[in-house]
Amino acid sequence: MNETTAMAARHHAASSVWLAPRQQTAFRQLMTAFSYPGRVLPLAGDGESASMLVVATLIDGACSLADPNGELAGDDLRRMGTRTGSVETADFVLASGMRVVDAAPRLGSLENPEQGATIVLAVAGLGTGATLSLQGPGIDGEQLLHVSGVDPAWWTQRAEWNTHFPLGVDFILVSQHAVAALPRTTRITLKGAH
Amino acid sequence: MNPGYELPLDEAGYSFGFLDEYAKREVRRTILKAISIPGYQTPYASREMPMGRGFGTGGLQVTLSLIGEGDTLKVIDQGADDSVNAVNLRHFVELTCPGVDTTERTAEATLIQSRHRIPETPLTEQQVLVLQVPYPDPLVVVEPSEARRKVMHGEGDYSRLLTKLYEDIVQFDEITISHRYPTRINGHYVIDPSPIPRYDVPQLHQNRALVLLGAGREKKIYAVPPYTRAEPLAFDDVPFRTEDFGDEHGQRRACKRCGATDSFLDELIDDDGHKHWQCSDSDYCNSRLTAQSATSAQGATAQEVNA
Repeated sequence: MNETTAMAARHHAASSVWLAPRQQTAFRQLMTAFSYPGRVLPLAGDGESASMLVVATLIDGACSLADPNGELAGDDLRRMGTRTGSVETADFVLASGMRVVDAAPRLGSLENPEQGATIVLAVAGLGTGATLSLQGPGIDGEQLLHVSGVDPAWWTQRAEWNTHFPLGVDFILVSQHAVAALPRTTRITLKGAH
Repeated sequence: MNPGYELPLDEAGYSFGFLDEYAKREVRRTILKAISIPGYQTPYASREMPMGRGFGTGGLQVTLSLIGEGDTLKVIDQGADDSVNAVNLRHFVELTCPGVDTTERTAEATLIQSRHRIPETPLTEQQVLVLQVPYPDPLVVVEPSEARRKVMHGEGDYSRLLTKLYEDIVQFDEITISHRYPTRINGHYVIDPSPIPRYDVPQLHQNRALVLLGAGREKKIYAVPPYTRAEPLAFDDVPFRTEDFGDEHGQRRACKRCGATDSFLDELIDDDGHKHWQCSDSDYCNSRLTAQSATSAQGATAQEVNA
């Protein structure tokens, strides 16, 4: 493959996240991830970014997005037509595992708990790193999740935000190519200090 | 608009799955929240479908937002694949979703949309069950205001519903709910599990597959995630019980066609006025019949060899 076709292939893969059939398969993986919390599922193919695919699949002009680290390009934001908001008010928060957000995201209300935010957390790796032991709906007994590149302060914050069920926030963990979900019902125990 | 102008063919058709991408994305966001808050009736903007509300538009919108090429869909109406509602919904999906297979076999399906039954064959982790829901809120019999019901749900306050069940016992010595039995999910929200018979309610408990419930007219989607507690409301001294299909001698009735004594039975009255019973799940009944004829054919061959 010469350099021009390689570049074209990369360009094609990058734009594939906007295609409806691609978003359908991505959503099915996401739905499986939410149904079975802590399972690491392959999501993005070569040249695709898992976080971009999650964002393109779920977000449009009907919801708001906070991007405190400025990870999205202006073109992509315009293409989604989304409103940008602050961490405290947005439906979706795009965050990095290494940088804990300094504000509390939306937790929803007793009557409308679905208004609690969804946090898309970019992590260095899924399937390697610190061990989390998970319990809750969608898990047959116990599920182990290995994740690297996450400041443990995130888990303390998450536990605090999710204290009062049904209020809380839901996490989508994305590495370069894989995805795992932690809905608000999942209880996390940290295993060992890594 | 120019009446002589014809749209090019690829623009004149409907998009895959009939719904536009914005509608699908909204249903998808709602589904993820519904899974995250098990049993919570998550509101969504139910779209107009080319069929009346009450004909399964809620379930259909969920199905159309999930389905893609490579999926195999089964549609059931009261256990059967060949009744009007099931045939029409299946035909609609075949029309609008090229590349999707349909089947009548529970084991072959990746996606099952059902009206009023859960298949007898246990579901697997590779399957998703979508139930059509006419009335999503179990509290509507005791509280007319939705605003107040939402607070009651949030607080997990079901005392008035339990009182209603208690009054049933006082009046009739029995909880008189035959279907849509209120069921508590993961110890918090109580759901209306759609008009499935009591017989099917225990199947929701710790099921291996995701169960999504869609109410089109009431604009709600809720979920019972896999491996989640689903406990029918009951009292310590009056436990929940399902239909037992016992005859006057206490003997379990059997299906007239396949002889099954472990399935949900429909009561039918034939031309002579005699009652008989038959499996409600047509695929379960048919696969038992196929298996029986295969074994009897084998038996016949074995006899021929012996003779």
